[in-house]
Amino acid sequence: MADRILGTVCLLLGAAMAWASRSYAAEISYEPVGPRAFPLLLAAIFALIGAWLLVTGRRRVAKPAAAPKATLAEPLPASGAAEAATAIVPAAPANNLVAVAMCAVAVLVYGALFQPLGFVLATTLMAVPVCKAFGGTLKGGLLGGLGLGFGLFFLFDKVLDVILPTGVLSFLLGGR
Amino acid sequence: METLNFLGQGFGVALMPTNLMMAAIGALIGTIVGMLPGLGPINGVALLMPLAFALKLPAHTALILLTAVYIGCEFGGRISSILLNVPGDAGAIMTAIDGHPMARAGNAGVALSISAWASFVGSTVATAGIVLFAPLLARWALAFGPAEYFALMCFAFACITGLMGSEPLKAVLAAALGLALSTVGLDSNSGVYRFTGDNVHLSDGIQFIVVVIGLFSVSEILVMLEHQTHSSGLIRTVGRTLFNMKEFMMTGWTIVRSSVLGFVVGVLPGAGATIASAMAYSVEKRLNDKDGTFGKGDVRGVSAPEAANNASANGSFIPMLTLGVPGSGTTAVMMGALALYNITPGPALFTQQPELVWGLIASMFVSNVLLLFINIPLVGLFARLLLVPNWLLVPGILAISAVGVYSVHATTFDLLLMGVLGIVGFALRKAGIPMAPLILGFVLGDLMEQNLRRALSITNGELSILWGSPITVGLWLAAAAMLLLPPLYRRWQRRHAALA
Repeated sequence: MADRILGTVCLLLGAAMAWASRSYAAEISYEPVGPRAFPLLLAAIFALIGAWLLVTGRRRVAKPAAAPKATLAEPLPASGAAEAATAIVPAAPANNLVAVAMCAVAVLVYGALFQPLGFVLATTLMAVPVCKAFGGTLKGGLLGGLGLGFGLFFLFDKVLDVILPTGVLSFLLGGR
Repeated sequence: METLNFLGQGFGVALMPTNLMMAAIGALIGTIVGMLPGLGPINGVALLMPLAFALKLPAHTALILLTAVYIGCEFGGRISSILLNVPGDAGAIMTAIDGHPMARAGNAGVALSISAWASFVGSTVATAGIVLFAPLLARWALAFGPAEYFALMCFAFACITGLMGSEPLKAVLAAALGLALSTVGLDSNSGVYRFTGDNVHLSDGIQFIVVVIGLFSVSEILVMLEHQTHSSGLIRTVGRTLFNMKEFMMTGWTIVRSSVLGFVVGVLPGAGATIASAMAYSVEKRLNDKDGTFGKGDVRGVSAPEAANNASANGSFIPMLTLGVPGSGTTAVMMGALALYNITPGPALFTQQPELVWGLIASMFVSNVLLLFINIPLVGLFARLLLVPNWLLVPGILAISAVGVYSVHATTFDLLLMGVLGIVGFALRKAGIPMAPLILGFVLGDLMEQNLRRALSITNGELSILWGSPITVGLWLAAAAMLLLPPLYRRWQRRHAALA
């Protein structure tokens, strides 16, 4: 099933790329291949892969489900190698999806608040849900976040000269 | 002789105080990053790249720092494999099979020291290989025209997809996605903006570092969350800390064989440390597992993958330096770093900037020695870092990633894009799409398109130039072999297994 969804996405991506690139033409052309050819070639590849996944995906559904796979890059199926890799990286329990979503949202919000709130506060705010997601406590997240925020700020901004936004704490951290 | 001269000059560069210090810092950070489960060499290099940039390090110093981090990661990955049964990075998966049982039997110290020694030999053999072969290859590659380069890049993709395991199609898809990402932005030939959606932030393309950190660090963190890795707990009783003569002799040939094998695999563009270590392990198992000790704590089972993954990491510098085609995901990232310094790796680098190339090669020898010194006596100290809980570690990784991304352009857009790419990367990994070909595609995309267009300009659009020279024909044949042989071999192996 997953392969067929992926196949559909590929087909759509190919179509979108082809549609978007139809207007890419150089005003004056000095060369036989313009800016449109390469994207169109890639769109064709996406379309082919998509079609292939749709066709084989259907066949695979009919067959018994494929063996679970290791999540790290798979080594060659040398004797013992594949099994070993699967043994070390066990199949995923599905109930962690809430934590994954929480973490993903935290990263996006972190990006949005990085400048307005400043590095220190934004980092603290990001650390709380991420800490919770990884099994920490609220207090741990808050203290850890503040520690990371201030520590990394002083390390990067003051010591290493990588300028970071100070945001609402600019009065404290020397605003810029 | 000439080579030795250059190497001597290289040592002059590598032993300059700043460079030596950067190599030491890189080796230290690399070992730590490699050791921490979930962070691999790609993340390590990606995290330090903007820092090197922000500190305004000169190109050769930055490259030495990043290289030391890369090699250090391959050294560090084994520590958590052995002590925790959780590989620190993908190259160390195979090390856990025998390393962890050794540790549980009270021989953690032996496993750690013999694997450090194996890593050192592997790295050094491969670095010597670079000295021997890179100049030759670079000289040969000077004959490459655009058509040859295009064929070479296709060969690189064929390698990475053919060796990627059971689903080459998904590796092809990953590569195509990377290529597609690279087309975003201004087309330098025609001045046409492609796939920018009129967004100013996208007009000069997607920042390399955003792609790398988003797809690797952020998505890795999400994957980590989903997989609660099995660990039998950190092993604290280390036992005897150094291997004895018997163990040294026992692993001698294993280490030499695995180093050479790892080097060869590393030189192939695209095939990385994971494949090298898996192959080395299975070769040794086939040759030496007479009493069935492999998998139960055999010292050879620890040395083989470690020698191989370090050798392959070093070997993967050859295609990057001589051909401008990275040999691994990490060297792809390093190529991106070089691009930030306006340096294009390739055969001309050897003639135009010998001090950079040879300084780098010499620094690899230096880093190896530093790493051996860091890794045998200090390993207990490092192991204590494994006690830092994930709930504190992960926010730290995210914060440093954000600093790295922000330091390049100081825009929130890049941070948001990093988050989005992280989520997309997570979804792609869930769908079984490998990330290494994607990053290779992203790095090579522009070069590949330019070379294709340049080649076709020469013949005014006639496609035959793409297979018009012996070199191109050879490369196409090699690419076809890379695509066809692994599946055929797998099929043969399966049939063999069914008959047995």
